[in-house]
Amino acid sequence: MNWAEMIVKALKDWDTSLIAYVPDISIHRVTSLIEADPYFRLVAATREEEAIGIAVGSYAAGRNAAVFMQSSGFGNSVNALASLCIPSRTPIPMFVNLRGGPGEFNIAQVAMGQAVRPIMDQLGLVHFTLDDDRNMEKLLDGAMKLCHANRQPLAVCMTQLLHGGKLA
Amino acid sequence: MRRFEGTQMILRLAGDAPIVSNLGPGSDDLWHAGHRDRNFYTYGNMGLCSSLALGMAMATDEQVISLDGDGSLLMNLGTIASIGREQPKNLTVVVWDNEKWGQTGGQTSHTGMGTDLEQVARSCGIARTKTVSDLEDLEAAVSEALATDGPNFIVAKIDEGEYLPVAPVEPEFTLYRFRNTFVEQRQPGH
Repeated sequence: MNWAEMIVKALKDWDTSLIAYVPDISIHRVTSLIEADPYFRLVAATREEEAIGIAVGSYAAGRNAAVFMQSSGFGNSVNALASLCIPSRTPIPMFVNLRGGPGEFNIAQVAMGQAVRPIMDQLGLVHFTLDDDRNMEKLLDGAMKLCHANRQPLAVCMTQLLHGGKLA
Repeated sequence: MRRFEGTQMILRLAGDAPIVSNLGPGSDDLWHAGHRDRNFYTYGNMGLCSSLALGMAMATDEQVISLDGDGSLLMNLGTIASIGREQPKNLTVVVWDNEKWGQTGGQTSHTGMGTDLEQVARSCGIARTKTVSDLEDLEAAVSEALATDGPNFIVAKIDEGEYLPVAPVEPEFTLYRFRNTFVEQRQPGH
């Protein structure tokens, strides 16, 4: 399995079939697999905080949900996480393409990308960063387990070192 | 028309249908109209009432009702486009439109300056839309919406009334009380 297939497997293993997302070229490797798989319902949101709302609604009505976004979009989702997911203790796994690190070509991605994990720390959210796919299957399974045990959002941040990133 | 009397009427029509209410007075009105496990009161998550309802409608075949507000929806107009894109048959959005931000001092909102949310919904591909301004028309519109395939989008023009006392509700209890009507809750750590 490649890294994208491992994410699909982890979602299925944890009965997570509704995926809300805002498109991103790097995580397209995963979301294109999800779109082609009848197990999933892939929902395109216009903005990341909307994706969080859709995912929480799905979970509230009994269907586990996850969110895919880019780090710039994480900035758009902060109030939804802080005022909806956290106080209602909703386990939403988030898969974030973390831009702004080694290999970044776009100055506009750096400040937000570098701020993602400090903001998550301030919110008290657990997050893991994947630079390569070593132990990734185990980590993903453990992250999903922790997300549900803790009943809080959890982020898996994926860097350009893992997925190759967007080329300038 | 007052939001509270409209909320009471919708609750009577809804049966067991899940209802999501916008933060503040919209949720307080729903609680006072009749607290039930299938009420999902929202708190600080500005603009996300109908996004939550869209997610619910994609997780269940049951009818889902969103009781949104003009200020809230204006903050997240994109979700109307998402509803139009996904075309959930089991979703009815009612927008309480007082043409103002009632809780922040009564400033005129965009719907008081010409923005027509019904037209926004239609342009996003939601075919079943209505704007009503009295209780009788709202009852007819909601009854029809609940009996036919949606998505349905109803703008209910309201006059702002007195605020009812803040509902004694809490986010975590709201979510899990609501969710437990759909599934047996997983017991973490067991």
